[in-house]
Amino acid sequence: MEYLLQSILNGILAGCIYALFAMGLTLIYGVLNFVNFAHGELIMWGAYFLYLLMEKPIGLPLFFAFIPALLLTMILGLGTDRFVFRPLRQANRLTLLIASLGVSFLLRNGAQFFWGAEIRTYGFEIKRGMRFWGVSITSNQVAIIIASLVCIILLYLLFYRSRLGKSMRAVSDSLELARVVGIDSKRAIQLTWIIASLLAGLGGILLALDTNLQPGMGLINLVKAFAATLLGGVGNLWGALLGGIVIGLAENLGVLMISPGYKDAIAFGIMVFMLLIRPSVLFGKQE
Amino acid sequence: MKRIVHLILISLGILVFIIPSASAQDTYKIGAAFALSGSIAVYGEGFKKAVDLAVEEINTAGGIKGKRIEIVYEDNKSTPKDCVTAVRKLIAVDKVPVIFGPAGSSNFMAAAPVAQESKVVMLSAQGAAPGLTKSGEYIFRVFPSDVLQGKGISDLCIRLGYKEVPIMYVNNDWGLGLKNVFVENFRKAGGKVTDEIPYDEGKTDYRTELIRATKGNPPATVNLTYIKEGAVMFKQVYEMGLKTQWICGSAAKAPKLVELAGKTVEGIIGTYPVFSQETKEYKAFRTVWKRKYSDEKIPIFGEYNYDMVHITAKAIEKGGYTSDGIRKALFEVAKSYRGVTGDKTFDQDRGVGSEYGVWTIQDGQIVDYKK
Repeated sequence: MEYLLQSILNGILAGCIYALFAMGLTLIYGVLNFVNFAHGELIMWGAYFLYLLMEKPIGLPLFFAFIPALLLTMILGLGTDRFVFRPLRQANRLTLLIASLGVSFLLRNGAQFFWGAEIRTYGFEIKRGMRFWGVSITSNQVAIIIASLVCIILLYLLFYRSRLGKSMRAVSDSLELARVVGIDSKRAIQLTWIIASLLAGLGGILLALDTNLQPGMGLINLVKAFAATLLGGVGNLWGALLGGIVIGLAENLGVLMISPGYKDAIAFGIMVFMLLIRPSVLFGKQE
Repeated sequence: MKRIVHLILISLGILVFIIPSASAQDTYKIGAAFALSGSIAVYGEGFKKAVDLAVEEINTAGGIKGKRIEIVYEDNKSTPKDCVTAVRKLIAVDKVPVIFGPAGSSNFMAAAPVAQESKVVMLSAQGAAPGLTKSGEYIFRVFPSDVLQGKGISDLCIRLGYKEVPIMYVNNDWGLGLKNVFVENFRKAGGKVTDEIPYDEGKTDYRTELIRATKGNPPATVNLTYIKEGAVMFKQVYEMGLKTQWICGSAAKAPKLVELAGKTVEGIIGTYPVFSQETKEYKAFRTVWKRKYSDEKIPIFGEYNYDMVHITAKAIEKGGYTSDGIRKALFEVAKSYRGVTGDKTFDQDRGVGSEYGVWTIQDGQIVDYKK
């Protein structure tokens, strides 16, 4: 029984990580209508920014380094928009898709250039998890679950209870129409990037605190996040959370029954299936 | 803007002119398709240091018949596909007759047929999969096959009284090959494998795999893991408070594992191909290593890479700078060659033999296991 409970918890944990990533992905997709493959690299840079601030010569403690690391991730996110995606605002979706792939490579190799390809840790002492009913959970994992729930609630409030959110949704529906009725689309897009980058940074830091840092850390989880986005419906926030948790649970409970060698196949299976029934997602809405 | 573009073009032009003239025909080029990025780059960086050390030594001592050795590094990005690309590039563009192949048996085995078809010698200093050199007579390894290690792990389990164990392994040619040899030997010795759990490389979450492996609290669990995966796993084992004796293979015996996973790897044991650290060859190696890299620890399999460079240099000297010359000379120069890692005589499968020892981690140090 404990065995099953622990697996369910593991599934939810993995799901929360996927959901944190998926939310950012779905946000960009919702507003700008393209799949940002460089989102995984924003995640990774978030974690590495924290590492940069905590290591010598800066050497800040986690508490003080956390917010600046998020701000740096935000600047990076805004930078990719300013220099890559904004000039391509009117381009077709395939161009944007390929540009985001390029940015992904650039950022990943950039991190490798500065820190090398080896794995690193923040160097915190590893603690035993707390035990409830035979299930173990670390304080870090509690933080992951709480963070994803808080993020989604805040996002929901922003989107459906504020003027700003309304303008973002309007831009998402139609950039041209939003402009016509006098919405500051530039600001709405900027805000989208800020939120998506903050989510990426937060997710990356939490993931790295729970595991390790490495240049490929964003990429391997992004595919799952993408599957979660597809499952939950693109542009749908609650869908991203639900999709993430369903995939996390499917993977982790599946491992108990079939050979763990097929763990990835479950997520990919879901993704392929969703793409088969809704192929328009990858290349934008059909008009 | 235009001026900047011109400036860049001119500087590029100058570079193109400078580089070949500095290293024109006076060098023997050797290709190295190493994992300098990607999932197993944690190995590649250490190998490069060991190779560079040996090259520097040979060149300082006058090179091969007065010509310097130059290593052409090509990043194989740790994937079989890019390994093939890297090896093709080394053969077609750099036209090297001999290549130091990729780490990771799956990667090496993907690239080996390319070298074999082009009749270019390819060597491995860490590939352990039993079938590693089966691509043909141009493929060599200076590292012992896992046929020996699989038996070593099985013997160790029996000796320690573990008759029923689950086995976890990295789901690739190396993990699968070693697992098969282990299972075969373990069954023969009267043991029972309770569960087989393959897992993918490069994940950040192995919790559920670990829970499945330790279901029913087995006294010991065999885990054929790499450094990175091991570091993630043992951390999660510790956090979840799973209690079992972990038994690993040689690929996890690395200072880097201790650095990454800290106290959580305390007490794990494993087998590894041993060579005496008391020989004069080993002591000399340690001295030169210290001189070049000061206090850095010798990376995992660094010694094998170092030996590989020296054997290859000798083969070029004896057989000439052609792939067939090197291929034939390799057997002769390696015969009773005493390297840092012991006797490097090639057998008929172009591999080498070895003794197996047991390692453990005690107070953050990798030491010999005594029991």
